[in-house]
Amino acid sequence: MHARTGALRGHGSGARRALVVPAALLLALGACSQDPPPSVGGAAASALASSPAAASGGIPVQAGALPGAAATVAPEQLRIDRLKLTARVDAVGIDAATGDFAVPPSVDEVGWYRYGPGLEATAGSIVIAGHVDSAEQGKGAFFRLRELAPGDAVTVTGGDGVRRAFTVVAREIFAKTAVPLERYFARDGAPRLTLITCGGPFDTRTRHYRDNVVITAQPAAR
Amino acid sequence: MRIRRTLAGLAVAAAATIGAGTVAATPAHAAGPSKVSVVHGIPGQPVDVYVNGAKTLDNFQPSTVAGPLDLPAGKYDIVLVKPGDLVSSPILKVDQAAVPADANITLVAHLSADGKPAVTPFVNDVSKIAAGKARLVVRHTAAAPAVDVRAGGQPVFKGLTNPNEAKADLAAGSVSADVVLAGTTTVAIPAANLNLAEGTSTIVYAVGSAEGKTLGVVAQKIEGLHSTPGGVPSGTGGLLEQRTPWGWYAVAAVAVIALAGGGAVAIRRRAHV
Repeated sequence: MHARTGALRGHGSGARRALVVPAALLLALGACSQDPPPSVGGAAASALASSPAAASGGIPVQAGALPGAAATVAPEQLRIDRLKLTARVDAVGIDAATGDFAVPPSVDEVGWYRYGPGLEATAGSIVIAGHVDSAEQGKGAFFRLRELAPGDAVTVTGGDGVRRAFTVVAREIFAKTAVPLERYFARDGAPRLTLITCGGPFDTRTRHYRDNVVITAQPAAR
Repeated sequence: MRIRRTLAGLAVAAAATIGAGTVAATPAHAAGPSKVSVVHGIPGQPVDVYVNGAKTLDNFQPSTVAGPLDLPAGKYDIVLVKPGDLVSSPILKVDQAAVPADANITLVAHLSADGKPAVTPFVNDVSKIAAGKARLVVRHTAAAPAVDVRAGGQPVFKGLTNPNEAKADLAAGSVSADVVLAGTTTVAIPAANLNLAEGTSTIVYAVGSAEGKTLGVVAQKIEGLHSTPGGVPSGTGGLLEQRTPWGWYAVAAVAVIALAGGGAVAIRRRAHV
């Protein structure tokens, strides 16, 4: 058998290989420069989102006072050692013109979704989004966000001066048309930190990326 | 004592949610229970609330909100008595109140425009609220004439009468609101700061009696009506694609070897035939 294959190999396969190898090399490099790293930890992210709330007994009775302002602890600084990143966090809402997340215009800053949970929350997803880059300003604070992997540490300092440590559990890549935003902007489920930026192939005509990169982190064990 | 049968109106108001509704014929969508809250808007009179003969709320205080509790669709007898009194000596009773399926309802014990105790059901709008907004609902359940509700000094709801509501989805945040007699600047309920939380419906009940000088407000909140932003646009540079870190070359090299190996095997196989 060994002898036979050896004999057959001489029969024109060398020439074919010479074609196959450069083609494969081109394909592989092309794919790598466009495709983001694969998603990891999606099941962990889903589990956090569906963590049940504690059941309560009896019929609750509440005072009918007018609601006061909620005591929210806004994130003010984000630190990710793995990415050598320290960024200021602005409290942001919705871009009135588009209905989209109002990501801070300065690519060096990232934005906390002030309508969702703050750092004091005992449930729900604290969302911070930032630019991967911009045509005018170059690389953004979240340029390397897609390199984060489960186990990486993320530290967020709040307006109360307290530093809170989180551990990455998932990195997920979704086409923007298919990203399950309800899960990441949920106000229920386990308390968690969600970091969002852009990724995937870039459309030079519309000047937009195809995908969103979503990092899910949970409070670090103390 | 006064008996109002306005609860029957619920069946109509919530018809959309019942649909083809009377259940047995539609096994694919079993009708769920309704969420029912109770608001106490009669000043100075705590009550026990009986539902179908069972005490459901004990010593329920004015200006408080109970619930929500899940009630299956059906007819309910509701009786309010002074705390400790027998169910047979009610302050107010409603027989055979219709609760539809899959609705969110608030039953308000309050004074009618002419000052008599009444129970009025309202179907709560629990449709999703656009991101960045909050819902404000104002319900006139006070012994008082028509009113205007002003926010930041401007009338936002005009000519509201007992027992009706007005509502709007507004930018989330804080707003100063007051209540004036309709078409006048005569303040009926002085200004208060309303903190309208995003994705939340704040329902404000005007309660009490103008004549008795007990006008005031009771508030109920329904949370979880938020929507997500439309998207998270966060890159316009296209710089990710101009970069191929060395790590990716390593991955590419492995892929090349694997592909080349696979190619060689395929060629060998073909040569066999």
